[in-house]
Amino acid sequence: MAPVLEVRNLALGFKNLTLFRGLSMDVECGATLAVLGANGTGKSTFVKTLLGLNKPLAGKLTWTGQTRREVGYLAQLTEFDRRFPIRVRELAAMGAWQSLGLRGKLNAKNKQRVESALAATGVLDIADQSIHTLSGGQLQRTLFARVIMQDAQLILLDEPFAAVDQSTEAHLLSIIRHWRNEGRAVVLVVHDLSSVLDHCSHALLLGGEQATFGDVDTVLTPERLVAQKYLSESQASWMFRGAARQRETASV
Amino acid sequence: MFELFSEMWSFAFMRRAFVATTVLSASVAPVGAFLVLRRLSLAGEAMAHAITPGIVIGFVTAGLSVMSLLVGGLIAGIGVAILTALLARKTILRSDASLASLYLIALAAGIFILSAAGSAVPLKSFLFGSILGIDDASMLLVGAVATVTLVSFAALLRPLVVSTCDPVFFEAQTKRPWLIEQAFMLLLVLNLLAAFKTLGTLMAVGLMILPATSARYWSSTITGQLLLGFFFALTSCWIGLTLSYLLPETPSGPAIVLTTGGFFAISALLGPLGFGGRLRKPSHQTSSSIAQTSTEKRPQ
Repeated sequence: MAPVLEVRNLALGFKNLTLFRGLSMDVECGATLAVLGANGTGKSTFVKTLLGLNKPLAGKLTWTGQTRREVGYLAQLTEFDRRFPIRVRELAAMGAWQSLGLRGKLNAKNKQRVESALAATGVLDIADQSIHTLSGGQLQRTLFARVIMQDAQLILLDEPFAAVDQSTEAHLLSIIRHWRNEGRAVVLVVHDLSSVLDHCSHALLLGGEQATFGDVDTVLTPERLVAQKYLSESQASWMFRGAARQRETASV
Repeated sequence: MFELFSEMWSFAFMRRAFVATTVLSASVAPVGAFLVLRRLSLAGEAMAHAITPGIVIGFVTAGLSVMSLLVGGLIAGIGVAILTALLARKTILRSDASLASLYLIALAAGIFILSAAGSAVPLKSFLFGSILGIDDASMLLVGAVATVTLVSFAALLRPLVVSTCDPVFFEAQTKRPWLIEQAFMLLLVLNLLAAFKTLGTLMAVGLMILPATSARYWSSTITGQLLLGFFFALTSCWIGLTLSYLLPETPSGPAIVLTTGGFFAISALLGPLGFGGRLRKPSHQTSSSIAQTSTEKRPQ
């Protein structure tokens, strides 16, 4: 598959602090990349770099077939104003803002796309509600609809399941699978080792001033998670023993 | 009532005041709406105080002309905005503390210079406005500022909405996200200067904030917020000017802002998003309908 993004010898950090050096990777069409790391290892800095909001210490990012600004993006909800006077439909339509410019209006085709995006994320029947009436899960579904409206080849989701229930998470994961089947690349920043990783083809583990990229099974081994200070030895041993036991039970 | 209006209308200064405040209401309504939505209500108040020394120095050196007001106020406003941004970026202080520090210094300096210069303009009219002060030049200033403001909002409404609702998303989608913030602050300073003659430096921001906060209790859409804000501002100006006319010792600024305060109290009590309603109403969608759509449905 062709890469959407090529990263070569990337080093990230600040004036007196290097987070990691020497990251080279290709994010290919149809790949789902999980970005993991403990607090302070550079997940947010990496996201900002992908969005062009942070200058790397060294290295190069090369985009093919799109610009940085065309990345589909779902941010954490920390600065989102949930009391803003806007309806669900309008928030989803915001995803088309880049293509419409300052004054362009939604044409019939785009209006239909908004309806389809709302239907796909399960919020069409509350499309006329104000966002201040939404639950956390409904808001996240609406923001996924906005990402659908962005129609980007690379989609960056920053902790998308942080405040949603299980059924919403399952639904949103089905949308991510659909994006993958469409050949879009998805970068997923996750905080915990969870079932979400079952849906990822690749992982990028940050920590210990290193960035390790590869297949999920290759990168997320107990040894590496301990070496890069994501887990302590006792946590890794407990977690992977439990996982092995589950696999044995399933095979019996 | 009719006699009262025909009597007021017979005075040129009252006619000017009514026309100026009508145009001003249209201009400050969108600025006020976004000040409130961008959580900058207190920053707006601080900026109103911060432009005082510029206006005073302009007045002391070149007299109370529209040009001295505009130049002095703009220099002070832009200067304080830049210094605030510098302090917030390069020192430990956050922008609210930086702005508070600067506006207090600026307000004190303004009043100090005005008093030390033995000004012929009474301090009260400087701080609280005077309907007698609205001359043709002031009306031209209000008209020009309103034109610039409304044209700017027509052009920038979409990025303003996106940057206010979801600043992180906006930053990620735009090459120069700070441009919108700076343009908005410039419009704020221009509108404060336009409102200065009628409302004074202390009350100018009242006509922006209170109609906007009142409108917020009634409307869940941007359009509704803007239109209702304009309605509350306009009605407050007309009622406030009439009060100021009937009670000649009353400056127009507090009379207008007190009227907006009345709308605010009514809105907070009766508005569907105030005490009269609940902030978060349960959604019509039930958990079962979410569960149905959550299983295998795929995006189009």
